[in-house]
Amino acid sequence: MRIKSEKEFWSGVMFIVFGVAFAGLAQNYDMGTAQRMGPAFFPTILGGLLAVLGVVIAMQGLAAETLDGKLEKFHLGPIAWVLGAVIAFGLLLRPAGLVVALVALIGISSLGSHEFKARDTVLLAIGLCLLVLAVFIYGLGLTIPVLPVFMRD
Amino acid sequence: MELLNNLALGFSTALTFTNLFYAFAGVLIGTLIGVLPGIGPIATLAMLLPTTYALEPTSALIMLAGIYYGAQYGGSTTAILVNLPGESSSVVTCLDGYQMARRGRAGAALGIAAIGSFIAGTFATMLVAAFAPPLTELAFKFGPAEYFSLMVLGLIGAVVLASGSLVKAIGMILLGLLLGLVGTDVNSGVARFTFDIPELSDGIGFVAVAMGVFGFAEIITNLEKKDAREVFTSKVGSLLPNWSEAKQAAPAVGRGTLLGSVLGILPGGGALLAAFAAYTVEKKIAGPNADPAFGKGNIRGVAGPESANNAGAQTSFIPMLTLGIPPNAVMALMIGAMTIHNIQPGPQVMTSNPSLFWGLIASMWIGNLMLVILNLPLISLWIQLLKVPYRLLYPAILVFCCIGVYSINNNTFDVYMTVIFAVIGYLFYKLRCEPAPLLLGFILGPMMEENLRRAMLLSRGDPTVFFTRPISLTLLLMAVALVVIVALPAIKKTREVAFQEAD
Repeated sequence: MRIKSEKEFWSGVMFIVFGVAFAGLAQNYDMGTAQRMGPAFFPTILGGLLAVLGVVIAMQGLAAETLDGKLEKFHLGPIAWVLGAVIAFGLLLRPAGLVVALVALIGISSLGSHEFKARDTVLLAIGLCLLVLAVFIYGLGLTIPVLPVFMRD
Repeated sequence: MELLNNLALGFSTALTFTNLFYAFAGVLIGTLIGVLPGIGPIATLAMLLPTTYALEPTSALIMLAGIYYGAQYGGSTTAILVNLPGESSSVVTCLDGYQMARRGRAGAALGIAAIGSFIAGTFATMLVAAFAPPLTELAFKFGPAEYFSLMVLGLIGAVVLASGSLVKAIGMILLGLLLGLVGTDVNSGVARFTFDIPELSDGIGFVAVAMGVFGFAEIITNLEKKDAREVFTSKVGSLLPNWSEAKQAAPAVGRGTLLGSVLGILPGGGALLAAFAAYTVEKKIAGPNADPAFGKGNIRGVAGPESANNAGAQTSFIPMLTLGIPPNAVMALMIGAMTIHNIQPGPQVMTSNPSLFWGLIASMWIGNLMLVILNLPLISLWIQLLKVPYRLLYPAILVFCCIGVYSINNNTFDVYMTVIFAVIGYLFYKLRCEPAPLLLGFILGPMMEENLRRAMLLSRGDPTVFFTRPISLTLLLMAVALVVIVALPAIKKTREVAFQEAD
């Protein structure tokens, strides 16, 4: 059977997955009664509703053509560079300090653009580091480790 | 005159040097970020929220409100000059604003947007000041059943206004409600859906959700597109509309202000609905013989929606301030911000914290005044900013987002949560599931569960309580009416046309 609207169909599938997951996990908790609802009550209802709705949407996707229903291509490049950069920032922040983490964040994420220029990225990194130090560390006084572990006192 | 006394208290709070400074900073930074294409008020607010952590609550809220108006106005500037709406409520501004820019009247379009917004903002602020106290009185009559029904109405309202498929919007709300339930259940102390991760026992951070779904996902999708931007720089021209333009625009500003003020108060309403409705009304009134035609650079197509969206943006504070219930995603963020500052949103804010309440209202007007004073001379600066290539912009945006998310709890866990929500947000984008209802559901999830439980406890498990209490019944009937109205074939068609015009 051919899927007539891919966007609708897969949206439905996504809702079914989330609905079933939440309602299923909720069964580990106490359901309670209508008068004294336990922690499982509300999520079970919501999860069930979501799953049913997901089925409806998925069926619509199978049955009816919609405008612009074809799923666009997923580009892995930008996601990988941008989110990889953010994860690197998270991993480096505590041990290596803010400056190193920022340089990694800016450097890696810049590679995600199709018009990457090395010289501009270096200048951008220097400028942003100075700005962040001035605004967030000295200006607003946020407590973020600035230097790597071995250089702190 | 109690109103005057209250306003006097408000202005004495808002006019202190510190608060004026933060209102100014908020408007300036908000506009700065809002001008950047593809970044709407929600992403801007989420991004700049951390800059307000260190402030005293009143100053923080004043600054956030300033950021919101600034972002809103910045979005219009981008819509007019580059034809790229920074946010959904500027979508209609693109239609005629950009065409005016192409005809060399960019200045007049920008000018009327600023002046219209100011007039609308002034009127709407007065409305907020006048209606907040009686509504707060009403709110004290609300029991858990009424709150639950009100939230149902609000969520239905949000669904009706989401562009695209209704069922998908309902799905997004349910998903948002469920995500909001993650964390320790207040009644039983059970940690739900936490997978034994200690950081999740306080729930998923709403900044992580907002920033992931609106900020990061936005950047990733922007990087996929390779569109060329065309900025009208050389021919902005005089910012003041000429006489015939002013004559055309004035009634449109008036109509937009009234329409926007009313629509902003509705649950699910706010700037977006107001702008769409105002555009439709202006187009209808002008008729097919409008000169220039609508969509070809008619100044009324800019004046009406721009006034309406600002009026709607202001009056949507009314349900947030009086009932503690957000009518749209932006107000959901404001509620999140209040909670971070340990203020429990709700009717008690006005009595327990009058200087914050009235100070915020007074600062709305001051913020609007600053927008006009600030934006008219600074237009050329914003144009310069629009010329900065995206490859330099997005790493900078990422930097502020990452520092912001980290500094909420000084914990890198939130940074990783944002990454997860960025992936989910990207998936939403690809599946054409609009994320704004999700954020609203996310904030309302715990509140709804709490009120449902309390209502059922008080009624001893009898669910008819929602239909037997008059206020609750009225609210539910309104929700049903909304669904019916939207399902009517004639309305359904208009709705589709209205949203298609936006695309």
